[in-house]
Amino acid sequence: MTRFKDLDPILHSQLRLAVISLLVSTVSAEFTYIQEQTGATAGNLSVQVTKLKEAGYIEVTKKFSNNYPQTLCKITSLGRQRFIEYVNALKDYIDKESI
Amino acid sequence: MENEQKVMTGEESLRIISEMINRTKVNIRQGSFHLLFWGWLIVFCSLSEYLLFRLTDMENPWIVWLLVIPGAFVSFIYGYVKGKKSPVHTYADMLYMWTWIGFFISAIVLFIIMSGKMETVAPYILMLAAIPTFISGFIIKFNPLIFGGISFWVFALVSYFAGPSIGPLAVPAAMLTGYLFPGYMLKRKDHNDQV
Repeated sequence: MTRFKDLDPILHSQLRLAVISLLVSTVSAEFTYIQEQTGATAGNLSVQVTKLKEAGYIEVTKKFSNNYPQTLCKITSLGRQRFIEYVNALKDYIDKESI
Repeated sequence: MENEQKVMTGEESLRIISEMINRTKVNIRQGSFHLLFWGWLIVFCSLSEYLLFRLTDMENPWIVWLLVIPGAFVSFIYGYVKGKKSPVHTYADMLYMWTWIGFFISAIVLFIIMSGKMETVAPYILMLAAIPTFISGFIIKFNPLIFGGISFWVFALVSYFAGPSIGPLAVPAAMLTGYLFPGYMLKRKDHNDQV
């Protein structure tokens, strides 16, 4: 079993990786949608979204829609770049493992 | 989804990435409304025009096609409201939407160019409609829509070469294979996916 210690620590977490993977193919997604797709609790997801935001990987916009608060998440160009690097690094590890 | 502290294997990372990316693909499959709405509207307009032409002395039977103007408003408002309510917007959604808006603009330009000879517009509009239908089928990976797009090209040829007695029926026939059949299949697939 291969373990990773030198991959981007921001992305190398189950929930944060899931969030970035969802956002990479979307223009924007609501917090509730991400919660539904990942199956995470609101509290845990909120913590991980904040970490991604603080790292500059995603943008979080809060607004009101039909009097209900809405939190929209969007991947940044830095987040997209880091995701590509993460996938490439992952590919290298798997290639090395299979040799 | 578990806490961040657990160390992931490569397989787990890949599984999460592919699972999450795949989940965002199904969104535009909920667009069967537009296929069914336009399919039935155009069947109604084309058959009405055909019957008015055959059975009455009406000078401009193509005038029934003016129904597509309120139809476009209905379609636009439905798409706008659905888009506002949607919790996620994917790049595939955007590509899908702009492909159809591009077709809509091309159709308006075609109607303006052909305004003096509206009775000959059918093969050209079918040929144009084939493009977004064909591309949409590939975007949502739905073969009936791909074949629907191909059928538009076939019926465009039928409409052009079949002559005035059969040619006008190519449009409603194309709607059956290009919009209505894929539309109902898509609707059924959505329903099954949600159950």
